[in-house]
Amino acid sequence: MNGRVVARRAVPAAVATAAVVALLANVRARPPSIAAPAGAGREPPPISATVEPAVRRVSARRPTRKGPVRSAIETATTPFSIIQLRVTLTGDELTRVETLELSGDNARTEAINARAEPILREEALKAGISGDIDVVSGATYTSRSYRKSLQAAIDRARARG
Amino acid sequence: MGIPVGIDVRDEGVEPGALDRAFAWLRGVDATFSTYRADSAISRLNAGTLALADAVPEVRAVLARCETLRERTRGCFDVRARGPIDPSAFVKGWAVEGVASMLVAAGARNLCVHAGGDVRVRGERAPDLPWRVGIQHPHLRDRTAAVLHARDLAVATSGAYERGAHIVDPRTGEPPEGVLSVTVVGPDLGTADAYATAAFAMGVEGPTWTAGLADYEALTILSDGRVLSTRGVPDVE
Repeated sequence: MNGRVVARRAVPAAVATAAVVALLANVRARPPSIAAPAGAGREPPPISATVEPAVRRVSARRPTRKGPVRSAIETATTPFSIIQLRVTLTGDELTRVETLELSGDNARTEAINARAEPILREEALKAGISGDIDVVSGATYTSRSYRKSLQAAIDRARARG
Repeated sequence: MGIPVGIDVRDEGVEPGALDRAFAWLRGVDATFSTYRADSAISRLNAGTLALADAVPEVRAVLARCETLRERTRGCFDVRARGPIDPSAFVKGWAVEGVASMLVAAGARNLCVHAGGDVRVRGERAPDLPWRVGIQHPHLRDRTAAVLHARDLAVATSGAYERGAHIVDPRTGEPPEGVLSVTVVGPDLGTADAYATAAFAMGVEGPTWTAGLADYEALTILSDGRVLSTRGVPDVE
Protein backbone atom coordinates (compact mmCIF):
# COMPACT_ATOMS: atom_id res chain seq x y z
CA MET A 1 0.00 0.00 0.00
CA ASN A 2 1.56 3.25 -1.05
CA GLY A 3 0.81 6.25 1.08
CA ARG A 4 -2.60 7.10 2.29
CA VAL A 5 -5.64 5.02 1.47
CA VAL A 6 -8.15 7.42 0.02
CA ALA A 7 -11.58 6.40 1.13
CA ARG A 8 -13.94 7.08 -1.73
CA ARG A 9 -16.92 6.54 0.43
CA ALA A 10 -19.32 8.87 -1.36
CA VAL A 11 -19.08 6.73 -4.46
CA PRO A 12 -19.74 3.29 -3.03
CA ALA A 13 -22.53 4.52 -0.80
CA ALA A 14 -24.28 6.07 -3.77
CA VAL A 15 -23.74 2.97 -5.83
CA ALA A 16 -25.04 0.71 -3.14
CA THR A 17 -28.15 2.79 -2.69
CA ALA A 18 -28.90 3.14 -6.38
CA ALA A 19 -28.40 -0.53 -7.04
CA VAL A 20 -30.53 -1.65 -4.12
CA VAL A 21 -33.58 0.10 -5.49
CA ALA A 22 -33.25 -1.65 -8.81
CA LEU A 23 -32.45 -5.11 -7.53
CA LEU A 24 -34.61 -5.37 -4.49
CA ALA A 25 -36.94 -8.02 -5.83
CA ASN A 26 -34.36 -10.42 -7.10
CA VAL A 27 -31.39 -10.27 -4.88
CA ARG A 28 -32.87 -11.99 -1.89
CA ALA A 29 -34.28 -14.91 -3.80
CA ARG A 30 -31.02 -15.82 -5.41
CA PRO A 31 -28.62 -18.16 -3.72
CA PRO A 32 -25.11 -16.80 -3.39
CA SER A 33 -23.21 -17.33 -6.59
CA ILE A 34 -20.01 -19.00 -5.60
CA ALA A 35 -18.35 -20.29 -8.71
CA ALA A 36 -15.47 -22.70 -8.75
CA PRO A 37 -12.07 -20.99 -8.86
CA ALA A 38 -11.07 -20.09 -12.37
CA GLY A 39 -9.10 -22.86 -13.95
CA ALA A 40 -10.16 -25.54 -11.49
CA GLY A 41 -10.68 -28.87 -13.15
CA ARG A 42 -9.32 -27.67 -16.44
CA GLU A 43 -5.94 -29.33 -16.22
CA PRO A 44 -5.25 -31.47 -19.26
CA PRO A 45 -4.88 -35.16 -18.48
CA PRO A 46 -1.31 -36.01 -17.69
CA ILE A 47 0.49 -37.76 -20.50
CA SER A 48 3.11 -40.26 -19.64
CA ALA A 49 5.24 -42.38 -21.88
CA THR A 50 4.48 -45.46 -19.85
CA VAL A 51 0.71 -45.40 -19.93
CA GLU A 52 -1.06 -48.26 -18.26
CA PRO A 53 -3.69 -49.13 -20.85
CA ALA A 54 -7.23 -49.56 -19.64
CA VAL A 55 -7.91 -52.98 -21.07
CA ARG A 56 -11.45 -54.05 -21.77
CA ARG A 57 -11.70 -57.75 -22.24
CA VAL A 58 -14.09 -58.65 -25.01
CA SER A 59 -13.86 -62.42 -24.82
CA ALA A 60 -13.59 -63.30 -21.21
CA ARG A 61 -13.98 -67.02 -20.88
CA ARG A 62 -11.12 -68.36 -18.89
CA PRO A 63 -9.48 -71.19 -20.79
CA THR A 64 -8.57 -74.40 -19.08
CA ARG A 65 -4.90 -75.20 -18.59
CA LYS A 66 -4.70 -77.83 -21.30
CA GLY A 67 -7.42 -76.30 -23.42
CA PRO A 68 -7.29 -75.42 -27.10
CA VAL A 69 -5.64 -72.38 -28.62
CA ARG A 70 -7.97 -69.46 -28.51
CA SER A 71 -7.86 -65.79 -29.36
CA ALA A 72 -9.32 -62.87 -27.63
CA ILE A 73 -9.66 -59.37 -28.98
CA GLU A 74 -8.88 -56.67 -26.51
CA THR A 75 -9.22 -52.96 -26.83
CA ALA A 76 -6.68 -50.84 -25.07
CA THR A 77 -7.44 -47.19 -24.62
CA THR A 78 -4.52 -44.87 -24.15
CA PRO A 79 -4.63 -41.11 -24.12
CA PHE A 80 -3.35 -41.26 -27.70
CA SER A 81 -5.56 -43.73 -29.50
CA ILE A 82 -7.63 -46.88 -29.35
CA ILE A 83 -5.56 -49.94 -30.08
CA GLN A 84 -7.00 -53.38 -30.76
CA LEU A 85 -4.89 -56.34 -29.89
CA ARG A 86 -5.34 -60.02 -30.74
CA VAL A 87 -4.15 -62.02 -27.80
CA THR A 88 -3.56 -65.68 -28.42
CA LEU A 89 -3.66 -67.98 -25.48
CA THR A 90 -2.60 -71.61 -25.36
CA GLY A 91 -4.26 -73.05 -22.35
CA ASP A 92 -3.99 -70.09 -20.01
CA GLU A 93 -0.60 -68.98 -21.26
CA LEU A 94 -0.24 -65.89 -23.34
CA THR A 95 1.53 -67.02 -26.50
CA ARG A 96 1.05 -64.22 -28.98
CA VAL A 97 -0.02 -60.58 -29.12
CA GLU A 98 -0.81 -58.89 -32.44
CA THR A 99 -1.81 -55.32 -33.13
CA LEU A 100 -4.88 -55.42 -35.34
CA GLU A 101 -5.70 -51.81 -35.84
CA LEU A 102 -4.70 -48.38 -34.78
CA SER A 103 -7.30 -45.69 -34.85
CA GLY A 104 -5.64 -43.79 -37.66
CA ASP A 105 -2.12 -44.29 -38.90
CA ASN A 106 -0.80 -41.26 -37.14
CA ALA A 107 -3.08 -41.37 -34.14
CA ARG A 108 -0.28 -41.03 -31.66
CA THR A 109 1.48 -38.30 -33.60
CA GLU A 110 -1.72 -36.35 -33.98
CA ALA A 111 -2.40 -36.58 -30.28
CA ILE A 112 1.07 -35.32 -29.51
CA ASN A 113 0.63 -32.48 -31.97
CA ALA A 114 -2.65 -31.57 -30.33
CA ARG A 115 -0.82 -31.41 -27.03
CA ALA A 116 1.92 -29.25 -28.51
CA GLU A 117 -0.59 -26.85 -30.00
CA PRO A 118 0.19 -23.39 -28.63
CA ILE A 119 -0.66 -23.17 -24.96
CA LEU A 120 -1.34 -19.48 -25.38
CA ARG A 121 -3.98 -17.77 -27.46
CA GLU A 122 -2.64 -14.94 -29.57
CA GLU A 123 -4.57 -11.89 -30.66
CA ALA A 124 -3.72 -8.40 -31.80
CA LEU A 125 -4.10 -5.62 -29.25
CA LYS A 126 -7.36 -3.81 -29.80
CA ALA A 127 -8.91 -0.74 -28.26
CA GLY A 128 -12.42 -1.34 -26.96
CA ILE A 129 -14.96 1.33 -26.21
CA SER A 130 -15.24 1.28 -22.47
CA GLY A 131 -18.89 2.17 -22.00
CA ASP A 132 -20.22 -1.16 -20.84
CA ILE A 133 -17.91 -2.16 -18.03
CA ASP A 134 -18.26 -2.07 -14.27
CA VAL A 135 -14.67 -1.81 -13.19
CA VAL A 136 -11.16 -1.58 -14.63
CA SER A 137 -8.06 -3.58 -13.84
CA GLY A 138 -4.85 -1.83 -14.70
CA ALA A 139 -1.35 -1.04 -13.51
CA THR A 140 -1.38 0.60 -10.08
CA TYR A 141 -2.63 4.15 -10.23
CA THR A 142 -2.50 6.71 -7.47
CA SER A 143 -5.12 9.14 -6.25
CA ARG A 144 -3.55 11.74 -8.53
CA SER A 145 -3.75 9.68 -11.69
CA TYR A 146 -7.10 8.24 -10.62
CA ARG A 147 -8.80 11.53 -11.42
CA LYS A 148 -8.12 11.06 -15.11
CA SER A 149 -8.65 7.33 -15.11
CA LEU A 150 -11.24 5.19 -16.77
CA GLN A 151 -12.17 3.92 -13.30
CA ALA A 152 -12.92 7.46 -12.14
CA ALA A 153 -15.18 8.02 -15.14
CA ILE A 154 -17.09 4.82 -14.33
CA ASP A 155 -17.39 5.74 -10.64
CA ARG A 156 -18.66 9.23 -11.52
CA ALA A 157 -21.27 7.77 -13.83
CA ARG A 158 -22.38 5.33 -11.10
CA ALA A 159 -22.58 8.07 -8.50
CA ARG A 160 -24.91 10.00 -10.78
CA GLY A 161 -26.98 6.86 -10.87
CA MET B 1 0.24 9.84 -2.84
CA GLY B 2 -2.64 7.48 -2.11
CA ILE B 3 -4.52 4.66 -3.70
CA PRO B 4 -8.23 5.19 -4.30
CA VAL B 5 -10.46 2.37 -3.09
CA GLY B 6 -14.01 1.86 -4.35
CA ILE B 7 -16.61 -0.52 -2.96
CA ASP B 8 -19.75 -1.36 -4.91
CA VAL B 9 -22.25 -3.53 -3.02
CA ARG B 10 -25.40 -4.57 -4.86
CA ASP B 11 -27.33 -6.30 -2.11
CA GLU B 12 -30.11 -5.10 0.02
CA GLY B 13 -29.72 -5.13 3.76
CA VAL B 14 -25.97 -4.82 4.11
CA GLU B 15 -25.58 -2.44 7.01
CA PRO B 16 -23.68 0.77 6.18
CA GLY B 17 -21.44 0.10 9.16
CA ALA B 18 -19.86 -2.71 7.15
CA LEU B 19 -18.44 -0.15 4.71
CA ASP B 20 -17.14 1.97 7.61
CA ARG B 21 -15.42 -1.05 9.13
CA ALA B 22 -13.91 -1.98 5.77
CA PHE B 23 -12.42 1.48 5.28
CA ALA B 24 -11.22 1.60 8.89
CA TRP B 25 -9.48 -1.72 8.39
CA LEU B 26 -7.85 -0.41 5.19
CA ARG B 27 -6.52 2.59 7.09
CA GLY B 28 -5.05 0.18 9.62
CA VAL B 29 -3.45 -1.88 6.84
CA ASP B 30 -1.97 1.29 5.39
CA ALA B 31 -0.60 2.41 8.78
CA THR B 32 1.01 -1.00 9.24
CA PHE B 33 2.36 -1.76 5.78
CA SER B 34 3.02 1.59 4.10
CA THR B 35 6.59 2.16 3.00
CA TYR B 36 5.81 5.90 2.89
CA ARG B 37 5.26 6.14 6.65
CA ALA B 38 8.32 6.10 8.87
CA ASP B 39 6.28 4.67 11.76
CA SER B 40 4.79 1.70 9.87
CA ALA B 41 5.85 -1.79 10.87
CA ILE B 42 7.47 -2.30 7.46
CA SER B 43 9.48 0.94 7.74
CA ARG B 44 10.59 0.02 11.24
CA LEU B 45 11.60 -3.48 10.09
CA ASN B 46 13.70 -1.86 7.38
CA ALA B 47 15.19 0.64 9.84
CA GLY B 48 16.08 -2.19 12.21
CA THR B 49 14.00 -0.70 15.03
CA LEU B 50 11.48 -3.55 14.96
CA ALA B 51 12.30 -7.25 15.05
CA LEU B 52 10.12 -9.53 12.91
CA ALA B 53 9.32 -11.62 15.99
CA ASP B 54 7.86 -8.51 17.65
CA ALA B 55 5.74 -7.47 14.66
CA VAL B 56 1.97 -7.93 14.72
CA PRO B 57 0.75 -11.32 13.44
CA GLU B 58 -0.57 -9.78 10.20
CA VAL B 59 2.91 -8.59 9.27
CA ARG B 60 4.44 -11.98 9.92
CA ALA B 61 1.65 -13.74 8.02
CA VAL B 62 1.95 -11.41 5.02
CA LEU B 63 5.73 -11.75 4.84
CA ALA B 64 5.44 -15.54 5.17
CA ARG B 65 3.01 -15.62 2.25
CA CYS B 66 5.31 -13.35 0.25
CA GLU B 67 8.15 -15.79 0.86
CA THR B 68 6.02 -18.68 -0.43
CA LEU B 69 5.14 -16.60 -3.48
CA ARG B 70 8.79 -15.78 -4.06
CA GLU B 71 9.51 -19.49 -4.23
CA ARG B 72 6.54 -20.15 -6.53
CA THR B 73 7.64 -17.39 -8.91
CA ARG B 74 11.26 -18.47 -9.29
CA GLY B 75 12.27 -15.40 -7.29
CA CYS B 76 10.54 -12.97 -9.66
CA PHE B 77 8.14 -11.76 -7.01
CA ASP B 78 10.49 -10.63 -4.28
CA VAL B 79 9.66 -8.12 -1.55
CA ARG B 80 13.38 -7.30 -1.54
CA ALA B 81 13.66 -6.82 -5.31
CA ARG B 82 14.75 -3.24 -4.79
CA GLY B 83 16.59 -3.70 -1.50
CA PRO B 84 14.43 -2.85 1.52
CA ILE B 85 11.34 -4.95 2.27
CA ASP B 86 8.40 -3.72 0.21
CA PRO B 87 5.40 -6.07 0.16
CA SER B 88 3.12 -3.43 -1.44
CA ALA B 89 2.41 -5.47 -4.57
CA PHE B 90 0.99 -8.28 -2.44
CA VAL B 91 -0.55 -6.17 0.31
CA LYS B 92 -2.79 -4.18 -2.02
CA GLY B 93 -4.43 -7.35 -3.32
CA TRP B 94 -4.47 -8.97 0.09
CA ALA B 95 -6.20 -5.90 1.58
CA VAL B 96 -8.87 -5.83 -1.13
CA GLU B 97 -9.42 -9.56 -0.68
CA GLY B 98 -9.83 -8.87 3.05
CA VAL B 99 -12.41 -6.16 2.37
CA ALA B 100 -14.38 -8.51 0.13
CA SER B 101 -14.36 -11.15 2.88
CA MET B 102 -15.51 -8.62 5.47
CA LEU B 103 -18.42 -7.60 3.24
CA VAL B 104 -19.39 -11.21 2.64
CA ALA B 105 -19.32 -11.78 6.40
CA ALA B 106 -21.66 -8.78 6.70
CA GLY B 107 -24.13 -10.43 4.34
CA ALA B 108 -23.09 -9.06 0.94
CA ARG B 109 -23.18 -11.52 -1.93
CA ASN B 110 -22.89 -9.33 -5.01
CA LEU B 111 -20.04 -6.90 -4.77
CA CYS B 112 -17.06 -5.35 -6.48
CA VAL B 113 -14.06 -3.84 -4.73
CA HIS B 114 -11.34 -1.99 -6.60
CA ALA B 115 -8.13 -0.40 -5.38
CA GLY B 116 -5.58 1.23 -7.63
CA GLY B 117 -6.16 -1.16 -10.51
CA ASP B 118 -6.81 -4.30 -8.45
CA VAL B 119 -10.28 -5.79 -8.71
CA ARG B 120 -12.23 -8.36 -6.70
CA VAL B 121 -15.75 -9.28 -7.77
CA ARG B 122 -18.20 -11.69 -6.20
CA GLY B 123 -21.68 -12.63 -7.30
CA GLU B 124 -23.20 -10.59 -10.09
CA ARG B 125 -23.75 -6.98 -11.09
CA ALA B 126 -27.45 -7.80 -11.59
CA PRO B 127 -29.44 -11.04 -11.62
CA ASP B 128 -27.97 -13.39 -14.24
CA LEU B 129 -25.51 -10.73 -15.37
CA PRO B 130 -21.85 -11.25 -14.53
CA TRP B 131 -19.53 -8.39 -13.66
CA ARG B 132 -17.72 -6.84 -16.63
CA VAL B 133 -14.09 -6.22 -15.78
CA GLY B 134 -12.24 -4.10 -18.32
CA ILE B 135 -8.52 -4.53 -18.80
CA GLN B 136 -6.91 -1.11 -19.19
CA HIS B 137 -5.48 -0.41 -22.63
CA PRO B 138 -1.78 0.31 -22.08
CA HIS B 139 -1.62 3.30 -24.44
CA LEU B 140 -5.14 4.74 -24.53
CA ARG B 141 -6.37 5.91 -21.16
CA ASP B 142 -10.06 5.83 -22.04
CA ARG B 143 -10.06 2.44 -23.77
CA THR B 144 -9.97 -1.20 -22.75
CA ALA B 145 -7.80 -3.93 -24.26
CA ALA B 146 -10.27 -6.66 -23.25
CA VAL B 147 -13.34 -7.22 -21.11
CA LEU B 148 -13.68 -10.25 -18.83
CA HIS B 149 -17.04 -11.51 -17.63
CA ALA B 150 -16.81 -12.91 -14.13
CA ARG B 151 -18.89 -13.90 -11.11
CA ASP B 152 -16.26 -14.72 -8.53
CA LEU B 153 -12.84 -13.59 -9.51
CA ALA B 154 -9.76 -11.65 -8.50
CA VAL B 155 -8.12 -9.57 -11.24
CA ALA B 156 -4.69 -7.94 -10.87
CA THR B 157 -2.64 -6.13 -13.49
CA SER B 158 1.02 -5.13 -13.47
CA GLY B 159 2.47 -2.75 -16.00
CA ALA B 160 4.81 0.18 -16.42
CA TYR B 161 2.39 2.62 -18.05
CA GLU B 162 1.09 4.20 -14.82
CA ARG B 163 4.00 4.73 -12.48
CA GLY B 164 6.93 4.25 -14.82
CA ALA B 165 9.41 1.45 -14.48
CA HIS B 166 8.94 0.64 -10.81
CA ILE B 167 8.93 -3.13 -11.33
CA VAL B 168 12.34 -4.67 -11.88
CA ASP B 169 13.40 -8.21 -12.67
CA PRO B 170 15.07 -9.23 -9.40
CA ARG B 171 17.45 -11.40 -11.41
CA THR B 172 18.89 -8.44 -13.32
CA GLY B 173 17.80 -5.39 -11.33
CA GLU B 174 16.49 -3.92 -14.58
CA PRO B 175 12.94 -3.21 -15.71
CA PRO B 176 11.65 -5.89 -18.10
CA GLU B 177 11.52 -5.29 -21.82
CA GLY B 178 9.02 -6.33 -24.43
CA VAL B 179 5.96 -6.37 -22.20
CA LEU B 180 3.42 -3.63 -21.49
CA SER B 181 1.17 -5.32 -18.95
CA VAL B 182 0.26 -8.65 -17.39
CA THR B 183 -3.20 -9.33 -15.99
CA VAL B 184 -3.63 -12.37 -13.74
CA VAL B 185 -7.03 -13.71 -12.69
CA GLY B 186 -7.90 -16.37 -10.15
CA PRO B 187 -9.38 -17.12 -6.74
CA ASP B 188 -7.19 -14.90 -4.53
CA LEU B 189 -6.23 -11.28 -5.22
CA GLY B 190 -3.01 -11.19 -3.20
CA THR B 191 -1.70 -14.19 -5.10
CA ALA B 192 -2.92 -12.78 -8.42
CA ASP B 193 -1.10 -9.53 -7.65
CA ALA B 194 2.15 -11.30 -6.86
CA TYR B 195 1.88 -13.49 -9.96
CA ALA B 196 1.17 -10.45 -12.15
CA THR B 197 4.20 -8.65 -10.72
CA ALA B 198 6.39 -11.73 -11.24
CA ALA B 199 5.17 -12.41 -14.78
CA PHE B 200 5.68 -8.77 -15.72
CA ALA B 201 9.22 -8.85 -14.29
CA MET B 202 9.94 -11.92 -16.45
CA GLY B 203 9.35 -9.87 -19.58
CA VAL B 204 8.69 -11.88 -22.73
CA GLU B 205 9.21 -15.12 -20.78
CA GLY B 206 6.21 -14.29 -18.61
CA PRO B 207 3.40 -15.63 -20.81
CA THR B 208 4.87 -19.13 -20.99
CA TRP B 209 5.38 -19.15 -17.24
CA THR B 210 1.76 -18.11 -16.62
CA ALA B 211 0.55 -21.03 -18.78
CA GLY B 212 1.87 -23.39 -16.10
CA LEU B 213 0.06 -21.80 -13.16
CA ALA B 214 -2.56 -23.86 -11.32
CA ASP B 215 -5.90 -22.09 -10.73
CA TYR B 216 -4.74 -18.80 -12.28
CA GLU B 217 -5.01 -17.50 -15.83
CA ALA B 218 -3.20 -14.61 -17.47
CA LEU B 219 -3.40 -12.12 -20.30
CA THR B 220 -0.15 -10.46 -21.37
CA ILE B 221 0.10 -7.44 -23.65
CA LEU B 222 3.44 -7.33 -25.42
CA SER B 223 5.17 -4.21 -26.74
CA ASP B 224 4.84 -5.48 -30.31
CA GLY B 225 1.05 -5.33 -30.07
CA ARG B 226 0.36 -9.00 -29.46
CA VAL B 227 -1.94 -10.15 -26.67
CA LEU B 228 -1.17 -13.62 -25.31
CA SER B 229 -3.76 -15.32 -23.10
CA THR B 230 -3.77 -18.64 -21.31
CA ARG B 231 -6.62 -20.86 -22.40
CA GLY B 232 -8.82 -20.44 -19.35
CA VAL B 233 -9.14 -16.65 -19.31
CA PRO B 234 -12.87 -16.23 -18.70
CA ASP B 235 -15.18 -15.03 -21.43
CA VAL B 236 -13.00 -12.42 -23.09
CA GLU B 237 -14.86 -9.87 -25.16
